[in-house]
Amino acid sequence: MKELIARLKKQFKITDEVYQKPDQTYITVPQEQAVALVTHLRDYEGFNHLVLLTAVDWIEENLFQLIYLLNNNDFKADLGVRVMIDRHEATMTSIHHLWKAAATYQRELKEMFGIDFPGSPRVDEPFILEGWDNIPPYRRDFDTKKYSEETYFPRPGRTTHDPAEYMKKKLYPED
Amino acid sequence: MSLKDVLKPFTAWKNLILEPVSIKKPLERQGAPRYRGFHQNDLEKCIGCGTCEEICQNAAIDMVPVDGVETKPGDSGLRPQIDYGRCCWCALCVDICTTNSLTMSNQFQWIDSDPEVFRFTPGADPKYWDNSELGYRKPELYELYNTERVKVEELHPEERDRSFIEMVKGFSKEQAMRESDRCVECGLCIATCPAHMGIPSYIKAVRNDNIEEGLRVLYETNPLPEICGRVCTHKCETVCAMQYKGDPLSIRWLKRYIADQVNSRDYQKILGTENLQKNKKKVAIIGAGPAGLSAAYYLSLMGYQVKIFEALEKAGGMTRYGIPEYRLPYDQIDKDVKYIESLGVEFQFNTKIGTDIPLEKLRKDFDAVYAATGLHLGRSTRIKGSDHEKCYQAVDLLREYTLGQEIDVQEKIVVIGGGNVAMDIGRTLARLQNQKFGKVQLIITSLESEDIMPADREEIVESREEKIRIEPGWGPKDIKIKDQTIQGLNVIKCLSVFDDEGRFNPVFDTDQKNFFEADMVVEAIGQGMDIEYMKGVVLTERHKVKVDKNFQSSEPWLFVGGDIVSGPDAISAIGNGHQAAKGIDQYLNQ
Repeated sequence: MKELIARLKKQFKITDEVYQKPDQTYITVPQEQAVALVTHLRDYEGFNHLVLLTAVDWIEENLFQLIYLLNNNDFKADLGVRVMIDRHEATMTSIHHLWKAAATYQRELKEMFGIDFPGSPRVDEPFILEGWDNIPPYRRDFDTKKYSEETYFPRPGRTTHDPAEYMKKKLYPED
Repeated sequence: MSLKDVLKPFTAWKNLILEPVSIKKPLERQGAPRYRGFHQNDLEKCIGCGTCEEICQNAAIDMVPVDGVETKPGDSGLRPQIDYGRCCWCALCVDICTTNSLTMSNQFQWIDSDPEVFRFTPGADPKYWDNSELGYRKPELYELYNTERVKVEELHPEERDRSFIEMVKGFSKEQAMRESDRCVECGLCIATCPAHMGIPSYIKAVRNDNIEEGLRVLYETNPLPEICGRVCTHKCETVCAMQYKGDPLSIRWLKRYIADQVNSRDYQKILGTENLQKNKKKVAIIGAGPAGLSAAYYLSLMGYQVKIFEALEKAGGMTRYGIPEYRLPYDQIDKDVKYIESLGVEFQFNTKIGTDIPLEKLRKDFDAVYAATGLHLGRSTRIKGSDHEKCYQAVDLLREYTLGQEIDVQEKIVVIGGGNVAMDIGRTLARLQNQKFGKVQLIITSLESEDIMPADREEIVESREEKIRIEPGWGPKDIKIKDQTIQGLNVIKCLSVFDDEGRFNPVFDTDQKNFFEADMVVEAIGQGMDIEYMKGVVLTERHKVKVDKNFQSSEPWLFVGGDIVSGPDAISAIGNGHQAAKGIDQYLNQ
């Protein structure tokens, strides 16, 4: 794997490399080189299977991280390509032309994180959240508990107790 | 439309003779081994900390009382009830569970037409999956919080074994914030703390780096945070929810951290005590120990004019005259005391009530009296030889050392006792031996075997680090004296200390003997009180002063507290001093 990375470094600007496990490596490249690198890996290095495409919200840094996880069946190894993109203008070049399945991942990312992939088939259609009217729920500034409390009515008859207050009532009430 | 289109649907008829792919009895379909199905809760393991409720992003969990589960120290008696109309089966509650009591079975099938039954308390309301072996358990690979406490820096044994410099250095800001981040804010500790301190609130203040808020929380229930932040018996830590997966929080060091950060001249401003309104009523307090200081503080906040009478030359009581300086430096006691003094509390030192001033005079001059004179009389084993002049009482020696009097340290010393006082005098004398002779020859021997020695564990460990020999499980028989000089201590094996009912009733094996060479013996087996000065008040069967919940004695004007009523320990004294202040306020406003 190290040989491969050394080879890639001649053509691409790899800013970080993580050898997570013998069969799992991650590299980071600038946004403008990501699709070219993924294409290169597919066409020249045998990484012809897209395992998954997902994202991480680095809200404090105002960035989204995209991870293209590719598999090389001859090496029996995965290579993850990481890309940091701006969180406010979250747009990325689509790769649906490389793998058809990528369109589904991209549609999911659009819905759950609000990351746009212009030109990707059906990218603007709801994926699983029909009638969603809030910020994308995988963004870390989405308050799940607040949404849940506002959206779903509480069952009548529910009561709860604060452990510390309850213990005071039971164990030292006179104070 | 072609003929093919017309005929094609009929090809489906062939499926009639095939084996169906659907399952006949869907209810027999098993979930995967780690499927996240209905919850299981081990009610015995669960402590009702409510962390599951706190983390649930769907507000699906309520903490409710359960029949047969009692509220007791370290257990709220509440158990999680889950509303499956809201549960999304994410298992965060299982992952965060502090005791690993909450898990999920792999059962997910349950049909009922009554929606109400889908809200129940796992473990308390019997379900068919209660004993399921399969299902989701928190994987061992990760924890959602640090299970190990942040280590506090200490002086190494060789740096401390001949000096009285404070041994524990305290947390840095970074360390304190990291340690405070481990708190799940369940609040189970509050009930166990004798002063019921707002522990989760002040830990939260550390986490938010809001030291002023932290100090305010401390002073709501404890006006001696520098003292308690160093020498509190930290019973809170024994019930901390974090102990089940790792170490309990370092609550005591976090308290010390807060107090250490604030300069004493800012106290009044932060605590809002710059312009206290005084009333005309006067309260006398006997004893400037933790109980007296605590009562004085809260009484002066309420506007009373408070005067403390102290037999010794400085304030602090046992925390000054009992606890050695390497655990609690005197300037830290002074910091707590000076703030209380700054609120207008008057001190009269070197004045013993009963000898210098009769109690009756205080009754005449003041509207109420609070007596908290502590346990300053050492108890003797009364074994043969214990009346020798080189056989001492630990409390006497500790007091004399603090007063600056010279201790006639000998080369070989035996300390009798297994509590913190034995450790305090042992470690003090070991330091003095080191200074005088350049080596330590000191044995601490206790009736109790090591596992039940009453001293704090770290005291035992640190004593050994300072080259003290600990000999647990021996009963003192007599002190061997030859030519009027102590030769050592004869001991016999102690088999058990308490009887089946938990009463002190030691059993010895006189055949198993031992002899500890010594030319000085110190007894540290407990302390008694001198309450001669309040002759006439009603005592309990156990010869303690009888008081009500407000620490009011049989004489309505006389309130009694501190170690002579509870404890002995500083935090109980602080707690009951606070309660007595409220009681005195009630009494004077009747």
